[in-house]
Amino acid sequence: MESFGDLNSNSHGHLEIGGQPLSKKEKVIIDTDPGIDDSMTILMAFQTPEIEILGLTTIFGNVSTEDATRNALLLCEIAGRSGLPVAQGSDEPLKRGKPRIADFIHGSDGLGNISLPPPKGKRIEKGAAEFLVDKVSEFPNEVSILALGPLTNLALAIKRDSSFASKVKRIVVLGGAFFASGNVNPAAEANIYGDPEAADIVFTCGADILVVGINITTQVCLKDSDLLELRNSKGRYAQLLCDMCQFYRDWHVKSDGVYGIFLHDPVCFAALVRPDLFSFKKGVVRVETQGICVGHTLMDQGLKNWNSSNPWSGYSPISVAWSVDVPRVILFVKELLMKP
Amino acid sequence: MGMVEKKKIIIDTDPGVDDAMAIFVALRSPEVEVIGLTTIFGNVYTTLATRNALHLLEFAERTDIPVAEGSHVTINKTTKLRIADFVHGADGLGNQNFPSPKGRQIDQSAPAFLVEQANLNPGKVTLVALGPLTNIALAIQLDPEFSKKIGQIVVLGGAFLVNGNVNPAAEANIFGDPEAADMVFTSGADVLAVGLNVTHQVLLTDADRDTLAQSGRKFGQYMSKILGFYYSYHHDSYGVQGVYLHDPTTLLAAVNPSLLTYTEGVVRVQTTGIMRGLTMFHNSNRRFEELTEWSNKPIVKVAVTVDAAAVVKLVMERLMNS
Repeated sequence: MESFGDLNSNSHGHLEIGGQPLSKKEKVIIDTDPGIDDSMTILMAFQTPEIEILGLTTIFGNVSTEDATRNALLLCEIAGRSGLPVAQGSDEPLKRGKPRIADFIHGSDGLGNISLPPPKGKRIEKGAAEFLVDKVSEFPNEVSILALGPLTNLALAIKRDSSFASKVKRIVVLGGAFFASGNVNPAAEANIYGDPEAADIVFTCGADILVVGINITTQVCLKDSDLLELRNSKGRYAQLLCDMCQFYRDWHVKSDGVYGIFLHDPVCFAALVRPDLFSFKKGVVRVETQGICVGHTLMDQGLKNWNSSNPWSGYSPISVAWSVDVPRVILFVKELLMKP
Repeated sequence: MGMVEKKKIIIDTDPGVDDAMAIFVALRSPEVEVIGLTTIFGNVYTTLATRNALHLLEFAERTDIPVAEGSHVTINKTTKLRIADFVHGADGLGNQNFPSPKGRQIDQSAPAFLVEQANLNPGKVTLVALGPLTNIALAIQLDPEFSKKIGQIVVLGGAFLVNGNVNPAAEANIFGDPEAADMVFTSGADVLAVGLNVTHQVLLTDADRDTLAQSGRKFGQYMSKILGFYYSYHHDSYGVQGVYLHDPTTLLAAVNPSLLTYTEGVVRVQTTGIMRGLTMFHNSNRRFEELTEWSNKPIVKVAVTVDAAAVVKLVMERLMNS
């Protein structure tokens, strides 16, 4: 039986098993704020033959946008992918001024304070929104976006090009807390809280969107024993990631009493590559932009025929991750992280 | 051996078909003594709520119970109210053209009555709040000690980790006066919130209504008549073959707390934006890196599970026993 890691790509970018062409490699842009679990995801993506990464776009969140760009460049160099375009995104949300940075979770450098060297390469001239629009226009209906931070760059791309939503293949978002507590406060999850106006624009833009909230990602924990297994493995980036993860893991112990780490970004990546490991429900999702519940994501489950219109009326439903096959997602993550 | 003291109950209400049912169940529950009804807008305007409260007590031959009329506007003096006449009928009681009541309300306002009763029986009065929380917020403003002196406030309101019924975010009673609701939830009173996540589990079926109609009992037959409009609304809006017993469930939570389980935490109400009226629960076991709007606020109880079959059985029994 062919396993995931046995797939080979041919020179035309097609996957083959035993000579049979599979579907074309999926073109992916990762919008990211690395970030320890972002780093894990980016390096996992580089080890995934089914996808072709067109570039990274950067955003604030776990770190400032400038630091996110530095870290993205560094990750590309570590992976021997120095040529990959890194486009810098907005340094603040659409309306809210200086962003909140989660340096208490990821360390002041965003990579767990393990004294990594600065990157040698430079970001491209183009900004993130322009890069997103250009790539989506160059390959209409072929480019998927994995959005791992606040959604500012995507909202700017939508504003920049009114056909962006219809031309993007899929947007897979890590964000929100659906019928569950947030992680910034009871109402809000960090990525959405980082730019609620942008998130509301993205969720209501009409694109094919799949969103994975922390109600899903906090079910998937890489425990201390898994981290030890990873460290003892021959995984190409295992040592580096385990070093980075120490800070992140210690924060989980302190904050949640969890002896391990939540795999927020890797789980979202799994939803992109292996949607069969999840179940989804469709509904219109809006984001609150005012008051004490700013950043709250609320989905209309469609259980009632509303007798009058409301702020959810008239928008396209999106797919919200509803359940996850935890053991198989952990297996998926571990296989990629332990891949030589 | 003395008799167990009956629990004193005041029902703050906007009758309303399911309010009527809750009031009848309360009047026919030997465990409790209804010491007054206070009225509020919601299912109907406050004036009509008062009229209906008086009518229901006359029908039940309990004109000894005082009715105190409540606020006609929200705590912020808004007169633009959402009235759910499409759920309960234009008269609030399923469009049955009942005659006007003979009696009238007491001169005291609802908030003044609530404060007085809490002072007369400190810690002994259970307030069952079946509508928007304006009167209770006004009582708190009238007497800063009210939240300490009232025994328990059992609130029908909110939608905890489920969609609302006015829109995806908000439940009708909280939506009716979100500012008042936020005041009550953070007042420090012993509050038990019974939300849609619980009341949507308690369904009175079409067959149950037939049983009431055929019971030959006064209350059963009355309820079966006024329930028609309410059933139609449920069929159309939810596609369920029955009606949700929001108010009777909440009333019975006050009569017999063991019918429910609850959790504890801070509840805040969103008062602006597209999610105005959203009730947001904070589990006190969860800590956040930064202070939040939920930090250092008093804790309330939020109902989590309900013995739905037992609630329906009790409602049916009490409406049909003579």
